[in-house]
Amino acid sequence: MKYALVTGGSRGIGKAICIKLATDGYNILLNYKSNDLEANKSKEEVELNGVKCELLKFDVSDNESTQLIISNWLDNNKAAKIEILVNNAGINNDNLMVFMPNEQWHNVINASLNGFFYVTKAILKSMVSSRYGRIINVVSLSGLKGMPGQTNYAAAKAGVIGATKSLAQEVAKRNITVNAVAPGFIATDMTKDLDEKQLIELIPMKRFGTPEEVAETVSFLASKSAAYITGQVISINGGLYS
Amino acid sequence: MNREEIIGKINGFFVSEFEADESTILPLENMTKTLGLDSLDFVDLVVSIENNFGFKVNPEDFQSIVTFQDFYEYVIQNIKQASSQ
Repeated sequence: MKYALVTGGSRGIGKAICIKLATDGYNILLNYKSNDLEANKSKEEVELNGVKCELLKFDVSDNESTQLIISNWLDNNKAAKIEILVNNAGINNDNLMVFMPNEQWHNVINASLNGFFYVTKAILKSMVSSRYGRIINVVSLSGLKGMPGQTNYAAAKAGVIGATKSLAQEVAKRNITVNAVAPGFIATDMTKDLDEKQLIELIPMKRFGTPEEVAETVSFLASKSAAYITGQVISINGGLYS
Repeated sequence: MNREEIIGKINGFFVSEFEADESTILPLENMTKTLGLDSLDFVDLVVSIENNFGFKVNPEDFQSIVTFQDFYEYVIQNIKQASSQ
């Protein structure tokens, strides 16, 4: 039984990735932090594709519960192989640095950078041992070019990009690829409070992207066809670079 | 399992899973160099131990293991701990 673990899978980009990987034939381990209602809705949509979807509720920024829940799942499912890990969970909490309390910095780093480390570490041993894996990290345009008000979020995402490139080199010889996708403005809850009319003037394609467009790229990177691509960051941003 | 049986079993999977020549496995020799292990091979070793001896290994513990003897003691100690729980 082959599985894909998607963190932050109950809504937005994570949900679209779960559904796309289900259509690719993967059973889904859908991680979410708190929204039971949305997680259950996503599970139902995923299962319409004829695969299993299991909900794993934990906060990726909490190392202890992350290790416990993932290792229990692996122990109870010896025949299962988690072939794909999509590190999508993350939060933003914007503020100009001059007004940013320490807590606001640390919360974003904990979820968006440390969460990547905790979850990946929990899965990596089984991928190395089975000599196959696809790790895809959902980062952000913000981590590539920076964004005013997002020093915390941009730092976390830039951190994940650095880790993506390093980890890719560590595990390449075990047929494990590690890549990142960097969405620009995508129509989700995370961007719903932004002034879309004003922002699309900056985007060469004159529109926000969709979660499904991000999911397509993740699906490709997760496929056997992308076997020789590793350590890369693929931008999905309608041409928005500066 | 007594000490000798455990060491015999460990040496057995060094031979079967890492293609080691048994005559080169000497307690005070450097384990990594003798077996030609790279750092990722340690993960295979961790999984072998877990499957063969039934206790959970923290890969970080391996950083202090240099010789075969260190490795035997680590496994023996963990088996004792696991059986006393």
